[in-house]
Amino acid sequence: MDVKKMKDSKIKRKLIKSFKKSGIKNISIKLNENIIFLEGSVDSYEKYVTAGHLAGNYSIIHGVVNNIVYPEKKETERKKGKDKIIASADVVIVGGGITGCSIARELSKYQLKTILIEKDEDVSCGATKANNAMVHSGIGEEPSTLKQKLCVKGHFLFETLSKELNVPYRRCGMLIVITKDSLENLKLPSFLSNLLASYVIPFIILRRGKKIKVPLEKISRKKILEIEPQLTNRTITGISSPTYGVTSPYEFCIALAENAVENGVDLRLNTEVVGIDLEENRIKSVITNEGKINTRWLINASGVNADEIAEMANDRFYTVHPRKGSTLLFDKSDAGFISHNLSFFQFPMKRHTKGGGAMVTTHGNIQWGPTAIEISEKGDLSVSKDEIDGIFDKYSRLLPNFNKKAIIAYFAGIRSPTFTEDFIIEASKKIKGFIHVAGIQSPGIAASPAIAKMVADILKKEGLDLADNPRFNPTRKKHLVIRDLDFDERKKAVAKNPLYGRIICRCEEATEGEIVNAIHSNIPANNIDAIKRRTRAGMGRCQAGFCLPRVAKILSRETGKPIEEILKNSKESQLFIGKSKCLLEEIDGN
Amino acid sequence: METDVVVIGGGPAGLAAAAIASQQQVDVTIIERGIELGGILPQCIHNGFGNFIFKKMLTGPEYAQHYIDLVKKQKIHIKIDTTVLKITKDKQIFATNSKEGLFKIKSKSIVLAMGCRERTRSQILLPGSRPAGIYTAGTTQRLINIDGIMPGSKIVILGSGDVGLIMARRFILEGAEVEGVYEILPHPGGLTRNIVQCLEDFDIPLNLCHTVTEIHGKKRVTGVTVAEMDSSNFNPKKGTERFVSCNTLILAVGLIPENELSKQINISMDSNTGGPIVDNNMQTSEDGIFACGNVVHVHDLVDDVTIASELAGKSAAEYVKNQIEESPLKPVYPGKNVIYVVPQHIRCDLRSSITLYLRVKNIMKNAEIKVIENNDIVAQKKERIVKPPEMVKIDISSEVANKIKKAVKVNVEGELL
Repeated sequence: MDVKKMKDSKIKRKLIKSFKKSGIKNISIKLNENIIFLEGSVDSYEKYVTAGHLAGNYSIIHGVVNNIVYPEKKETERKKGKDKIIASADVVIVGGGITGCSIARELSKYQLKTILIEKDEDVSCGATKANNAMVHSGIGEEPSTLKQKLCVKGHFLFETLSKELNVPYRRCGMLIVITKDSLENLKLPSFLSNLLASYVIPFIILRRGKKIKVPLEKISRKKILEIEPQLTNRTITGISSPTYGVTSPYEFCIALAENAVENGVDLRLNTEVVGIDLEENRIKSVITNEGKINTRWLINASGVNADEIAEMANDRFYTVHPRKGSTLLFDKSDAGFISHNLSFFQFPMKRHTKGGGAMVTTHGNIQWGPTAIEISEKGDLSVSKDEIDGIFDKYSRLLPNFNKKAIIAYFAGIRSPTFTEDFIIEASKKIKGFIHVAGIQSPGIAASPAIAKMVADILKKEGLDLADNPRFNPTRKKHLVIRDLDFDERKKAVAKNPLYGRIICRCEEATEGEIVNAIHSNIPANNIDAIKRRTRAGMGRCQAGFCLPRVAKILSRETGKPIEEILKNSKESQLFIGKSKCLLEEIDGN
Repeated sequence: METDVVVIGGGPAGLAAAAIASQQQVDVTIIERGIELGGILPQCIHNGFGNFIFKKMLTGPEYAQHYIDLVKKQKIHIKIDTTVLKITKDKQIFATNSKEGLFKIKSKSIVLAMGCRERTRSQILLPGSRPAGIYTAGTTQRLINIDGIMPGSKIVILGSGDVGLIMARRFILEGAEVEGVYEILPHPGGLTRNIVQCLEDFDIPLNLCHTVTEIHGKKRVTGVTVAEMDSSNFNPKKGTERFVSCNTLILAVGLIPENELSKQINISMDSNTGGPIVDNNMQTSEDGIFACGNVVHVHDLVDDVTIASELAGKSAAEYVKNQIEESPLKPVYPGKNVIYVVPQHIRCDLRSSITLYLRVKNIMKNAEIKVIENNDIVAQKKERIVKPPEMVKIDISSEVANKIKKAVKVNVEGELL
């Protein structure tokens, strides 16, 4: 039956049926203008997610608000706002991740007073910093979704954009690898499985590529093993997607924000939205922990918190369900092991994820992952043993000879999908001046340039005057990276500033000069991780064992902050408790 | 700039090598990346160093000072706060500091003495979150003893390597609370004297066959989950998990020789030591490039480092003066209950006795260390007890060593405990 013709009651009936099949009972379903509201309670978080996905499955459904109660559900505590008016702006963007920063940079092309607010100490602190850095071509996305469309459009813009912003980018291409293990879960006779793997699947993928105008090429076993000799000898064939690339997500995000600031955007860190003032169904001001900002246009790019911000604007029609992705990072010494992004084709595919991959970062570290795990807590960045084991198992089958002992770190990020699993980028139908940019998950990085342009178009359509900013400079000033210089350039740099000669981080060869520059840049790095993202100090094989005390002391010296106030990455992440003997003084004092 | 011997690293290994080389009338340069000489010793303010060489218990800084003075008395060029970025097979050294900027030295010989680094949380695949408050033991030792910074107040220590044990005591002396030391193996990783003097004397519990299975806390560590290990499958035993509240997790889970420079010129490495393969002159597979100290294999006593490094320094000087002739090499292999033996090669033209250093796999009582060629015992020695954390040594005279025909292996036999 064509779902589009289904009446609301029919959808409800079908949904109740599928709920039953999944053991989900006593859920009330309300349907209003293609938005489903779910209420009731379930006995596990898994069922909560299943219910949401079942509701979001109908293509006619625009959004799912999942208010079902599950056992570990917690009420979010909100900071108190301040009433004093601290600023006014034409546009306020909420969220300094890749989406918010891309939009900020795009809007800096126009004569607008734009304020970008971010609750954390730095931009790029959420999903962006933990992204696995692939610039997808769109071939892995579900056909005819908004995310696919924007991904295809966005990824073609990366070459130019990366040059303008002076950030690393490599168009290394992607190989989708089909091996004898790709179809193991289907348990088919081997001749049939071979036929599918060798011909049918490549054919389907190639046809998909043609449809979205992304170049693809089938590659024989012989050729694929020639270009990636470390691939398993169980490889049957592969598909090459040459426009796939790799960026450095946090550096890309920081560069966007810096360029936006250079072009007049007002970035306010440590500023968290706690409420929104409306006036006759129009945005009037946004209330933060620092005070109110008057604005008529508010862009919700707050990632994992997008549903809560939408609620504040009285237009919540989606629920974000956090999906964690964990990635393993290996030492640079094995950089040459592979040269392309590699995706291990497995069928049937897990839904709502492309399954990650193996790749080399722009700095030469091999990375495996990420995972995709639904979690109930938006701030849960822990990496579990099962995840580590799972990633090792999966990619060892693709690259059996890889030296897994070279692991130097693992990290997690939280994707922010909604239950319809597509991007939601539109002007609010209820509240004038409120723009939703929600449900941004993979391929959010690849799509970001296109998302930013789409948001600018929406603002224009909604009536905001976008006059060109005559002073807009697309080129972001490059920070000096000493390790990238040749002998003579390096000599010259040190002659100018002796601190460029002193290595602080031995593993990544980050110099004191670069660290000082990061601390005093136009978006000051004022904690250890912020310095790490900008200079790579602490990102190497010893994981800051040697450089942490030195970087902390430099930060303390440059900012005048006492050492015990130096933070790892966020408020309350103090690295030290005080000077030595401080505990003894406490005892003496008593 | 040109010189005879460049010593990379100004820790105990580099200092000893430089001092001896310089005494042989060759031009020596030490390059040290830290801001002072002595390597890890200045932060080791406890005593217990020098028992073998000086017949007394010195502190780390005292031990280091002896060799710093020795070096400073001679015409040795010392470059501190200077990092070597690259070395080449033809013995060019590229280094950088804030005074001279980037510079190049052409040397006749190189001594690699870069020491080691600590294993991190990721290398032992410890799951959980990534908050502030997770440190390697050596980092906290530096923080407290050199920088005067206190990293935490409620401590759990994972691993019972020597630095971890020393730090357990140090934290107590600083007024912190140490909840316990957890060791995954059934025996401690550090020296017995440290178990007694650092844990037992301070009533710090040592939990053998235990490990940390998860780190908790979003911003700062709030606690860890610990569990008992199932010795049959080396997995945590179900039902033994326990939450331990703490604000700091200290890792003392092993050391890794720091051989990034050695790997740049493809020096042959021993996968069991993590260091270069050396002959009894401490020469690596590259002619004129020597190695000594923890860059070769991780030592438990600095005295042993000094002795091996003096040998390396002497050899480097002799190489410069063309006193080392080419000689076929006879391999020394680890045999029964032996993880590794250093040196891995013996030259054919020995004029003095040599010492083999080895580490055993398992604790053994009434052990016999046997150097064997085919089925003949070349040399042997008895030890009342041998343990993995305590290096075993056996001396072989030059006459005996020169009689070895092709290769020997070293077995340790005895009663397994």
